[in-house]
Amino acid sequence: MHPPILQNLLQQEIITPEDAAKIDIFEAKKPFSLHWELKSLLYLGVILLNIGLGFLIYQNIDSIGHIALIALIGVISAVCLIYAIRHRPPFSAGASESPTPYYDYILLLGCLTFLIMEGYWQFQYQIFGTRYGLATFIPMVLFFGLGYWLDNRGVLSLGITALASWVGITVTPQELLSKNDFNSATIVQTGVLLAALLTLVPFVSERLNFKKHFSLTYLNFAVHIGMISCLAGMMALDLEVLYFPLLCGAVGFYLWYARTRGSFYFLTVAVVYGYIGITYMLITHTDSLNLDFMFYLLYFVLSCTGVIFFLINYKRFIKNDAP
Amino acid sequence: MIAYNSTWLDALLTRDTAHKWHHKGLLSDEQWKQVQERYQAPFYTPNVFVRIGLAFFCMILLSAAIGLFMLFTGADSDGGIAALSIFFGLLSLAALELWAIGSARHFGSGVDDMLLYFAISVILTGLCSQLPYNTDTLVYYCIALPFLLAASIRYLDRLLAAATFICMLMILLLAVNNIPRLALYLLPFSGMLFSAGAYFFAQKGQLRYAWRHWHRQLVVVEMLALATFYMSGNYWIVQQAGAELFQLEQVPMADFFWLFTFIVPVAYILIGLFKKDRLMMDIGLGCIAAAVFTFRYFFHVMPLEWAAVIGGAVLFATAYFSIQYLRKHEGTYTYAADGDITLLQEIEEQLIEQTIASQNPPTTGDKNTFGGGEFGGGGAGGEF
Repeated sequence: MHPPILQNLLQQEIITPEDAAKIDIFEAKKPFSLHWELKSLLYLGVILLNIGLGFLIYQNIDSIGHIALIALIGVISAVCLIYAIRHRPPFSAGASESPTPYYDYILLLGCLTFLIMEGYWQFQYQIFGTRYGLATFIPMVLFFGLGYWLDNRGVLSLGITALASWVGITVTPQELLSKNDFNSATIVQTGVLLAALLTLVPFVSERLNFKKHFSLTYLNFAVHIGMISCLAGMMALDLEVLYFPLLCGAVGFYLWYARTRGSFYFLTVAVVYGYIGITYMLITHTDSLNLDFMFYLLYFVLSCTGVIFFLINYKRFIKNDAP
Repeated sequence: MIAYNSTWLDALLTRDTAHKWHHKGLLSDEQWKQVQERYQAPFYTPNVFVRIGLAFFCMILLSAAIGLFMLFTGADSDGGIAALSIFFGLLSLAALELWAIGSARHFGSGVDDMLLYFAISVILTGLCSQLPYNTDTLVYYCIALPFLLAASIRYLDRLLAAATFICMLMILLLAVNNIPRLALYLLPFSGMLFSAGAYFFAQKGQLRYAWRHWHRQLVVVEMLALATFYMSGNYWIVQQAGAELFQLEQVPMADFFWLFTFIVPVAYILIGLFKKDRLMMDIGLGCIAAAVFTFRYFFHVMPLEWAAVIGGAVLFATAYFSIQYLRKHEGTYTYAADGDITLLQEIEEQLIEQTIASQNPPTTGDKNTFGGGEFGGGGAGGEF
């Protein structure tokens, strides 16, 4: 497809014939990159290994082989973690390159097998007894430590997940809705507080100029946990007086963040959550008025038109000189 | 024939190609700047997240609008509702042509996508709702086909191109299924034949300069054709179809289909590697997984958990040693990341990021992959 384009650029005298010849050679000889395929295979391998080992352990509990199995998993975990620590990139407060292409995956394998092993110990020997908090506290400390020390966002995400389970919720963003029962007030309150904490961390690290590139990981967890907790507070707990202003505050905060940092992701997410909240308020509070169905349809048409025009003109909203 | 301004589409194509060359250091900054000035495409193409948001709100808007429309006009008969939905579909097409593409210059903004999908769906629903209840499925596909085909050509839409391909394949298979006695033998082969035909059509079409604007739609067709070719001869699918349609316990020519199940994925990967055809190789990798599942479905050689452990270890080791080999032997093949990330890979990376894995920084610094700015008209570059 490139020769006509090249021809065109030549005619426009943007490039010289030498440039064109260079590009022709490049197009003919450019190497075939297997980067993405091999990375996917690595990732798939790690996931399959973990699923397999996890199942194996629980199926072979109480059989002779399970000591050997747990030893094997321990060895895998230890080897992976030792590899990761020995080949670690030099520590810096900023982002550092992975030393080898498979480094991240080996580290991930080490962390996940550690979780399997720890879970097994707890299940079989109750090493933490009924102090379940401790069972999530230890991996949390380990993952946060490794994440910061070895500069790995994947492990940091594991750490945040462990933190969330430690304070009472099991999360990754897309599982939030399906796994949790949002009827309990404490869970909603914890969610809001956790989200506030996770939102605070990036600002502190930016102030201290320490691991600023972790901001996105923190905020991604924070925005979903926070907004869903507020919505749950409104819908399941019927505490709109408290949680609707909180939701509005959160939406405002993330719109501000999107505006100053030029982030389209947070812009869209904040608008969607805000729209859900406002629509819910409107519907529950007009319930007693027995309004015509047409009123609601009209609301959707007008409000969506408004949101669409806002989003279309997002360029005027987002500051151009965003860092 | 194309709804979008084709001069701008050409400018976009030139910019994108030149951008890749610039990225590889084949064009100087000065030249890249000149290209940007000379080739301007004032399309409105927002960042991918904004696009998703726009599509979401546009869908709610259109659904509410059609509800209002029905209430106002007070249609109460079946025929009236059908006529009104067709009319509403035409209205949304008009909005798409005159406002979204015409005056607002949208191109892949979420709004134009959703207007098109909505228009096509309500028109088809309106038409099909008038058919009697016992109508053959074949008729539905035949009604849908011209709309899907015309829309995917005029609006350069990949989803509709995929729908067109599936629709054609279904028409063929349903027609063959009606042939008495021979259907059983003809079904798999007609599927293969059609896929092969579509594959070569898409390949030839991608080479034609006159068809350059449909390049991405043809890629989708090529990808689907590779997948359906394999599916037509995969033993599990043939066996299930035989049991479902003809109540057969044993498939005729079982040996052939077993061979097909294993040879085609390997052939895809090898041909893909030799011909540097990424699409064929990636589909081949997927087919390998399908072949393994097919085998496990019929022969329980190993408990699932052991299979997962061994499979995972094999995958990991294969990838590990391939990377080591490629890093030592630079040449035709490389492990170095390629510049052009396709949409599929972009989504994949996002997914991996979501399921807590890859260290891949989500292209914060590299604004071009998600760029508000890079595609044509944008001004502001975007980060997450």
